[in-house]
Amino acid sequence: MATAVQMSPAAVQPTGLRPGRLLSFYAVAAYLFLHLPLLILAAFSFNSSKFTVWEGFSLHWYSAAFHDAELAEATWNSLIIAAVATIVATIVGTFCAYGLWKRNSPVLSGSLYLSLVTPEIVTGISLLAFFQAIFRFLHLQLGMHTVILAHVSFSIAYVVIVVMARLRTVDVNLEEAALDLGANEWEAFRYVTLPAIWPGVIAAALLAFTVSFDDYVITSLVAGVDSETLPMVIYAIARRGVNPVVNAISALIVVGLGGLILVSERLRGGRTT
Amino acid sequence: MIRLRRLFLAPAWIITAGLFLAPLGIVVVYSLLTRGAYGGFSLPWTAESYTRLMDPLYLPILLRSFWIAGASTVLCLLLGFPLALFIARSGARRNLYLSMVMLPFWTSFLVRTYAWMFLLRDTGLINSLLIKLGVIHDPLPLLYNDGAVLVGLVYSYLPFMVLPLYGTLERLDGTLLEAAADLGATPWAALTRVVIPLCTPGIRAGSILVFIPCLGAYLTPDLLGGGKSEMIGNLIQNQFTTARDWPFGSAISLVLMGIVMALLFAFVRRDREGLL
Amino acid sequence: MNRRSFLWAPAMLAGCARDRRPRLNIFNWSNYIDPQTVPGFEREFGCRVRYGIYESNEEMLARVMSGNSGWDIVFPTDYLVKPMRLNGLLAGIERERLTNLRYLDPAFERPQWDPQLQWSVPYMVTAAGIVYTRKLVPAPTAWADLWQDRLRGKITMLDDPFDVMGACLKKLGGSINESDPGKLRTAQSQALEQKPLVRAYINAEVRDQLVSGDVLAAQMWNTTAQQAIDATSEIAFAYPSEGYAVYPDAMVILRESRHQDLAHKFIDYMLRPSIAAANALAARTTTTNSGARKLFPESFRNNVTLYPPEDVQARGEWAQTMSPETQRLRDRLWTEIKSS
Repeated sequence: MATAVQMSPAAVQPTGLRPGRLLSFYAVAAYLFLHLPLLILAAFSFNSSKFTVWEGFSLHWYSAAFHDAELAEATWNSLIIAAVATIVATIVGTFCAYGLWKRNSPVLSGSLYLSLVTPEIVTGISLLAFFQAIFRFLHLQLGMHTVILAHVSFSIAYVVIVVMARLRTVDVNLEEAALDLGANEWEAFRYVTLPAIWPGVIAAALLAFTVSFDDYVITSLVAGVDSETLPMVIYAIARRGVNPVVNAISALIVVGLGGLILVSERLRGGRTT
Repeated sequence: MIRLRRLFLAPAWIITAGLFLAPLGIVVVYSLLTRGAYGGFSLPWTAESYTRLMDPLYLPILLRSFWIAGASTVLCLLLGFPLALFIARSGARRNLYLSMVMLPFWTSFLVRTYAWMFLLRDTGLINSLLIKLGVIHDPLPLLYNDGAVLVGLVYSYLPFMVLPLYGTLERLDGTLLEAAADLGATPWAALTRVVIPLCTPGIRAGSILVFIPCLGAYLTPDLLGGGKSEMIGNLIQNQFTTARDWPFGSAISLVLMGIVMALLFAFVRRDREGLL
Repeated sequence: MNRRSFLWAPAMLAGCARDRRPRLNIFNWSNYIDPQTVPGFEREFGCRVRYGIYESNEEMLARVMSGNSGWDIVFPTDYLVKPMRLNGLLAGIERERLTNLRYLDPAFERPQWDPQLQWSVPYMVTAAGIVYTRKLVPAPTAWADLWQDRLRGKITMLDDPFDVMGACLKKLGGSINESDPGKLRTAQSQALEQKPLVRAYINAEVRDQLVSGDVLAAQMWNTTAQQAIDATSEIAFAYPSEGYAVYPDAMVILRESRHQDLAHKFIDYMLRPSIAAANALAARTTTTNSGARKLFPESFRNNVTLYPPEDVQARGEWAQTMSPETQRLRDRLWTEIKSS
């Protein structure tokens, strides 16, 4: 139960509202469920045997992963693609959600819905056909640029939905008040609405990054010769059967990205808003 | 007021028109063509791909897919809501906990699915543990059935539910709960009658983000279901790969998209306009 | 913006140190070549090679169908050569440029799918049979053995319509390339009968479950089986007595290729007995190169799984291209099997 009484209007996280014991217990169980497969992967990345029977501790899968140039290149590609696509999709998507929140455009929001509803393989095939038609005139080939464009295309709808859900909780009158006080439209957005929806924007960016980093179907269709991504390489290896190199890669990624997050948390100083 | 809004919408318009609507137009064109002699597509124009769908073979597949997608969505909601609530109330560590939800999903989807296969197999971890503890004598058939597919789908799409829920819950005003308590509400009543109604946008967003991919899923049912029960996603995938029947695959996809869009509009139109 | 330039900088630097040698882009099945083959080619011919891999024909075809995928050489299975040719995807093979064609096995000099070898050059061969664990007694010897009730929940079949139907057709004593609708339906009923016994429709990934004992017998390709046998002696492979499907793979040059001369050189290089032998040994496969066969160590030349005796070979039947109507019927039958 909350102990401090907050009298100010919304926008402040009440400090007294901490999760109860039951909720915390549930959260631990939920995180265990989420991370259990990861832990197993990591455990078997140290297994000296190829099969899922424990046969002794070994690091040779890690050295195999490190020495694999194709893997390194694919990881690099995946990171670049995800980073660029996330930035573009988040910016475009946030602006789009804001615009739609002000006044809806049925065609645009209908199209965004439609892009969500399209099965991945259809998106992939349609983009492939589209690029093929255009490339006849432009003498281009499939490559990193086509993958990034494809990722931006399917990520925008996700960003719009998450940011829009957050926007629905913001009071429309706040911007009105800002305009009355002399701010122009951009300032009203930048200093009133944007801070209010910022956690939603972050959540959307996180989702966009994940969706892009993890994508296989669409990427495999529009990737060129030089734009192999990590899911494509892992997919190829894993399809042939259990291979601990894949476990090693996964463990490395988790540790790497996890470490990055921890560092960025420290740098931000853990601000609450 | 209008000028800034136009500017904000412009990039989205360009990308949507060029990278989605135009390619989609191509798919519509494909669906009206015939399968090329040895794959792909060719003239003549025909609506045969659509009439072929009337065959009673395809309805059970569609219904099954809806059932599994619906069950996955409900499970994600039940499992994801308390988690989102926890994260929203975690104060300073919010972003950390949020990232911890996403972390498993930065490993490959396929690898995570294989990890589940390892857990659920007859000689897998769960069965081995249960047998060792003496709870059961013969291994439980945990893999290669609908249950395994549900576990796999829920596991894959949980963050899609947690993130939008968190987005709305984070904004929740604690004073409202204060007021509810002051008026005599139990924590449970406060939850069901104050918190949940206020997060309806998040619930809607999350449900859509889970239901739709689950509907079109094909890898999870294939790997965890043992390829024994065909879902719509498998059917479509098959058309674009082994069968090389692009027109039919396009037609199935468009019909599926149409059905879902119709449901979405029925679901959403009730209150406000716009995207959710 | 700082972060973005930081990310792009290495990429730009890499682009600056550009290699001017010609580059050949080769797309092949995974584990289908000796690791030294490509570096050897690069050194000898002073070029670079981009070597990509795929797991299935469908995957390869989806990438290549666009006509501007960037690949020069791919390795389709025989029944895809004709469809690819008719879809305008192939550049012709000029036999005069291939000096090593004489080393091809006589059986593959005039293959049914390309008698003049104008479009493709045979590479290696796979067959579908039964892989099983030695725990299973008596060992399976025929497709019919996969219909036994005692194996309920312990067998898997390939997730491939042609292979599953092929097994059913052979069990009934027919041809894997059957096109008669009545016979196909009868074969389908066999598959439907078997389905309750089948643990899953799964491909190479089942190997792990064979070793652990979850699965006792599986329909599997011989190369995959051999790779499993290499890892553990607990596993064995059998060519079913009723007959089995054979899948030759071939090298083709894509029409979009801008290095057709270099591509021909690569194919000729692959036809050298020493190179073909190395490839077959490394990939654990059956080669179409008789010159290579002479170079094998005794144990490999007589490997039962990859180089079975004559009488076993006689039972094998090559997979052929299906007519569109047959393809459509088989697709439908497969959907019915999967959704029952």
